[in-house]
Amino acid sequence: MIAANTPASVDGPTDGPGGKKSKTTFVRALNDALDLGMERFPEMFLIGEDIAEMGGDFSVTKGLWAKYGQERVRDTPLSEAAIVGTCVGSSMVGMRPVAEIMFADFVGECYDQIVNTAAKMHYMFDGQFKAPLVIRTACGGGFGGGPHHSQSVEGWFMNVPGIVIVAPSNPADAKGLLLSSIESDDPVLFLEHKALYRARGEVPGGYHTTPLGRASVARQGTDVTVVATMRMVPMALTAAEEAAKEGVSVEVVDLRTIRPYDAATILESVAKTGRVVVANEAPKTGGLGAELSARIHEECFAELLGPVVRVDGLDTPIPFSVPLEEVVLPDEADISAAIGEAMRNSR
Amino acid sequence: MDLAMMLDLYRDMWLIRAFELGLEREFKQGNVPGMLHTGLGQEATQAALAAHLEASDCFFPDHRCHGINVLAQQRHGGDGERIMAELFGRATGVCSGKGGSLHSADPAVGNFGCNAVEGAYMATVLGVALASKLREEPAVACAIIGDGTCGRGEFHESLNMAAIWDLPVLYACLNNGYAIMTPVGQGHASADIVDLARGYGFPCEQLDGNDIEECYDKIENAVAHIRAGKGPYFLEFKTWRWQAAFAGEFRPESEVKYWKEDHDPILMAGEKLVELGASVEELGVIEKEAREVTEEWISYAKESPMPDLAKATANVYVGWEVAGS
Repeated sequence: MIAANTPASVDGPTDGPGGKKSKTTFVRALNDALDLGMERFPEMFLIGEDIAEMGGDFSVTKGLWAKYGQERVRDTPLSEAAIVGTCVGSSMVGMRPVAEIMFADFVGECYDQIVNTAAKMHYMFDGQFKAPLVIRTACGGGFGGGPHHSQSVEGWFMNVPGIVIVAPSNPADAKGLLLSSIESDDPVLFLEHKALYRARGEVPGGYHTTPLGRASVARQGTDVTVVATMRMVPMALTAAEEAAKEGVSVEVVDLRTIRPYDAATILESVAKTGRVVVANEAPKTGGLGAELSARIHEECFAELLGPVVRVDGLDTPIPFSVPLEEVVLPDEADISAAIGEAMRNSR
Repeated sequence: MDLAMMLDLYRDMWLIRAFELGLEREFKQGNVPGMLHTGLGQEATQAALAAHLEASDCFFPDHRCHGINVLAQQRHGGDGERIMAELFGRATGVCSGKGGSLHSADPAVGNFGCNAVEGAYMATVLGVALASKLREEPAVACAIIGDGTCGRGEFHESLNMAAIWDLPVLYACLNNGYAIMTPVGQGHASADIVDLARGYGFPCEQLDGNDIEECYDKIENAVAHIRAGKGPYFLEFKTWRWQAAFAGEFRPESEVKYWKEDHDPILMAGEKLVELGASVEELGVIEKEAREVTEEWISYAKESPMPDLAKATANVYVGWEVAGS
């Protein structure tokens, strides 16, 4: 199935060789990263449901089957545990598999392989095996996908030592982080927010990596720090522009890697601004916002001018009907309100 | 089977039995932490599998796996005492004491590690097999499973995927009659697991898992099939475990008597060996040597140091350090 309101095309300008930047979509950037990875690493292969001839539900693997053949771009039955199991086993013997789990909501079907096998492999056998695999999956709401095609699953994995959670917010990072994930010797859960697939941006041409475990400061500011992930980043940037009109200077930190996350960049920003908003689309309780808020309070209490304000999804499943979904998911207005609250509720 | 080969397998079976008996004693004395699942009663299948798997193959051992883990060490230049030390949680164990009974691995001898979540490695084995196939290596990827494991969804996903991709997987199902206390026929649509496997279209056979000769021959045939690139193979070994359940012995006395006295793999092999010309004394020496080696390994394990505490936070990630307390 392809949801009516989701991106389906990777057509558009390709990256020029020699590091020339060009404007392209998030999907195209991911597609280029996979292509460049496949070219560079003979031990890399792609595996997933209808990723070959069809190119995946969101066209991220479009054209790669024709270019690399069915041994390296491999369709599977609806068997998520076997997909990830195939990745784990092959990575144990030196392959670099990249799986596509069509929707993040389906990771329950392979949760055990990710959490109990891939993530613990290196530890429980004390370094005798590595699991250099990537699990790409489309997450997030905002398109009427309903309860089983819209979830943000990072919280399900945040409590799992050994897994790397990557969450790009723009095309350049999507490309650079995916290539870094392919290079990584640790298992990576690579989250692709569906609402970002059509986003366009400047992307460096050629092989280009973005370091894992490092946040980026997407916008400099001095009054409030907004730490955001994925779709919340462009929303935070919009909210920051609005705040600037009111004379409030907002710094936006794009976390990019959710686990292990870059505490240093966050704490440095908080030390500068003293006020923090943490924006994440997943449900509030026990989520990323809770973790970051606790950490900031633990390590920066003296520098804080007020309590950390969280912007999250509501603690509900995601409803189908669009106005209901809008109630449940956070947006620019929620971030703006949180910035306002952080400014008001401070010393 | 000739006398020399039969004696080798008899020696292997006794090593497993002595190892497990010694371990069971130490466990009851409180010297072995955690839980204990022994392979007592299932020695023939383990010995026969170990005899056919090379260091360049891979096996994912089952819950009652100490025996095959030890034999793989013995056959491929490893150290059996490092399996014992792992069970005692010592620094000298194959995983530095971090894995224990249910997560002992040593890739140098083809041991890819048990996974305490039954069934998980039925999915994982596909990847090792696919890598072998893509690299055109004649290696066998073996998943050793129990009857209880076949209740998992991975059973279907794995057999289906191995079939459609013709993967070099050997499924070795040790059907010992019970998943903890649940009889196999109560937990599955058939008490004969091979019935569940037949629909996938690759060769499936059921055999007497306590008959070392039959096990040896059938595994040899299956491994040859796989190495020839003909795809997966499923073997169901009918066997029986000595170990009862946590609640104690629950099986009828007649059943216990049959399997421990009339159909014990070591007693059966011993009778066959005498027929082939071995002396009772010779067989006694094999048993005695196995018990002696076991005691040496137990002493080695007990005298080995506990792991360095820094190991608690080591190897969580390849690319990042995790801070200690």
